[in-house]
Amino acid sequence: MGNTHSRGTMSDNIKDVSMVDVSSADESNKRGSQRAIVQSFSKLDIGDHSESQPPLLRRRSTLIFDDEDEIPRHEENVGHRSELDVSENPLSGSSSSASVHDNRLPQRGSDVVFQQQQRQGSDDSAFQQHHLQQQLQQHQQSPDPNSVLSPQQTSPSVSRNGSEPPAESPKTMVPVEITWQQGGSKIYVTGSFTGWRKMIGLVPVSGQPGLFHIKLQLPPGTHRFRFIVDNELRFSDYMPTATDQMGNFVNYLEIASPAESQDQLQHPQLQEDLRDGEIQPSPLVPGKQQHHQASPLPLTTADQKLNENRTAPEPLSARSKLALQIEEEPDDMGDGYSRFHGAHETSPLYSYITDIPAVFTDSSVMEQYYLTLDQQQSNQQSMAWLTPPQLPPHLENVILNNYSSASEPGDSGSENNSGALPIPNHVVLNHLATSSIKHNTLCVASIVRYKRKYATQMLYSPLQ
Amino acid sequence: MTESVSVEQQLAVQSIRRFLKSKTSYDVLPVSYRLIVMDTSLLVKKSLNILLQNNIVSAPLWDSHTSKFAGLLTSSDFINVIQYYFSNPDKFELVDKLQLDGLKDIERVIGVRPLDTGSIHPFKPLYDACCKMIESRSRRIPLIDQDEETHREIVVSVLTQYRILKFVALNCRETRHLRRPIGELDIVTGGELLSCNMHTPVIDVIQLLTQGGVSSVPILDNQRRLVNVYEAVDVLGLIKGGMYNDLSLSVGEALMRRSDDFEGVYTCTKHDKLFTIMDTIRKSRVHRFFVVDDEGLLTGVLTLSDILKYILFEEN
Repeated sequence: MGNTHSRGTMSDNIKDVSMVDVSSADESNKRGSQRAIVQSFSKLDIGDHSESQPPLLRRRSTLIFDDEDEIPRHEENVGHRSELDVSENPLSGSSSSASVHDNRLPQRGSDVVFQQQQRQGSDDSAFQQHHLQQQLQQHQQSPDPNSVLSPQQTSPSVSRNGSEPPAESPKTMVPVEITWQQGGSKIYVTGSFTGWRKMIGLVPVSGQPGLFHIKLQLPPGTHRFRFIVDNELRFSDYMPTATDQMGNFVNYLEIASPAESQDQLQHPQLQEDLRDGEIQPSPLVPGKQQHHQASPLPLTTADQKLNENRTAPEPLSARSKLALQIEEEPDDMGDGYSRFHGAHETSPLYSYITDIPAVFTDSSVMEQYYLTLDQQQSNQQSMAWLTPPQLPPHLENVILNNYSSASEPGDSGSENNSGALPIPNHVVLNHLATSSIKHNTLCVASIVRYKRKYATQMLYSPLQ
Repeated sequence: MTESVSVEQQLAVQSIRRFLKSKTSYDVLPVSYRLIVMDTSLLVKKSLNILLQNNIVSAPLWDSHTSKFAGLLTSSDFINVIQYYFSNPDKFELVDKLQLDGLKDIERVIGVRPLDTGSIHPFKPLYDACCKMIESRSRRIPLIDQDEETHREIVVSVLTQYRILKFVALNCRETRHLRRPIGELDIVTGGELLSCNMHTPVIDVIQLLTQGGVSSVPILDNQRRLVNVYEAVDVLGLIKGGMYNDLSLSVGEALMRRSDDFEGVYTCTKHDKLFTIMDTIRKSRVHRFFVVDDEGLLTGVLTLSDILKYILFEEN
């Protein structure tokens, strides 16, 4: 028979592909564009998607983090600080988010801290920082965590090295010493204060092998950072850690301006809280303003010194003072968290008006406003206001993107699955995803429940 | 063939029919699926790109002014536009700026009967959906529901003959008792089929598609042996780049535009059992079987609607 197609019984090989020796060169183009569309879904950027900086910025920081997946988390600890390692685990869990309100955890946390202290006498103010923070978070009305912490505390190495406390500065920048004490030869630090781009080298401390430090001037607020140790992204075990929005483990510091940190010490409620959390009071730290009971001795004395240098504050009620401080601080605590405002914190000085401020109506005024904001921030992240807010991580996973990867060539049956998608997480339901606008066409998609099933509808529509 | 095989087949078909009556269109849908919908104000040429990008051949349309389902976009719409442009080459501007809601005008001008866009509620029995699909000449049926609050239409999904038959092949164990050869069942369309050869101009083949109301035209060689098939969905690839410039190509050249993952042409003989056919439907995306004899000569064609009609209405 001269014919090429198979015949006879029906079976798999009846599918006659031998006739199809034709190929279309355009096919690869088609796939490319298909992928492009789907990828842009994950960015969810309406408007100008092409070359604008914001998505790039974020991508870049993500890239940095991606490298560290292979790093084993606690391996470093095991060698020289095994006790610490044991006690750190519950803590790092509880402190991983800046808004954990779990009443159980602080109790456990302080417990651990005390055991630690009795064993070692002095150590690791990182713990103390956790401890304080948790105490504070129990009382949402009362003050933000960062203001409790003086700059010395935020840098654990200060107490460890016994170095003198940094001079109190009236400026907005606060000197902070960052140390790395887990070995290595070339140490850099990178973080939110450099926009995750620049790496700042750490200087080895003479006479102390494996110890590096750098003194930075940082504005008050929350700073997230990582260390780059011999080209490897790592985090310090001696500083607080948290999981950021991308799900990466980072170190963080909360820096308050020095003036604020002192007033906080007067907070009576705070002291009570701290005592509540204790198992037994520490004999090492007497005195009325020892909210640092859990802290190692050298640090406490350093703080006392600082307190003595200051004049006693006005006998205002602690709460009203706090309210005033909070007004001055930025509401955005970083990482998408913003400060909670209780009713009593709102200032009575404000009044409602009926005119819409020009900032919202006149685009030129608006631009000027944002430019001014940008200058005030004096950060490396110029034009940061142009960056759209990041998506919550659970919205990043667009199941439509999974579809495209499943329909790659070579995956047989991709044609045959009648548009079946993975079952979506319920949190992505009823959200609107959009593609970038291409060729004057916008595609929006939304996952909705239909009875007990999930319909992902994509609507293509022209711009009018 | 023994008597028992016929009896078994009869019982199996009746059982499958009960299955179709007991299930709904909703049951055919995956737990999570995507549905691509196009606004009727979209340009026709852009809708073509969207179909190709998403690897689909049809999409429901949505009229955003009335918030109503506005029919299905299928390959036959593009065939209509090709035919219109071929007979009115001076109307390039019109074709280029044609919107999806203008397709009805094209239908009217070239005088084709518009496809019946019957729809059905997803919770109606699957059997009803099949009957409705057979009544209309369409190979697919949109599932339309109403929103509980706004009472507006919701396009839930679109079912095709293929999806329903695959659903049956996957879920009915009775298909294994369909052991009678298809030649006995009087379901194969034989006789003088529409056909062409490799040198036939593609525009003539496209005309054959609409004249015969068929979804594909077999391509035969001089001995009337089957060499390839031109399908209605192939026109999407034909006009994807520059619209409608390549209508002078021969059908053989037009086939060069086909995508790499084309599955091939499915053939069978009249001695094949219906079960084997159903099993192939289960495994592969096939829309028709060409029946050939031992010499490879084309003797007939078995379409999905032939199979569906047999299951719905025969063996009582």
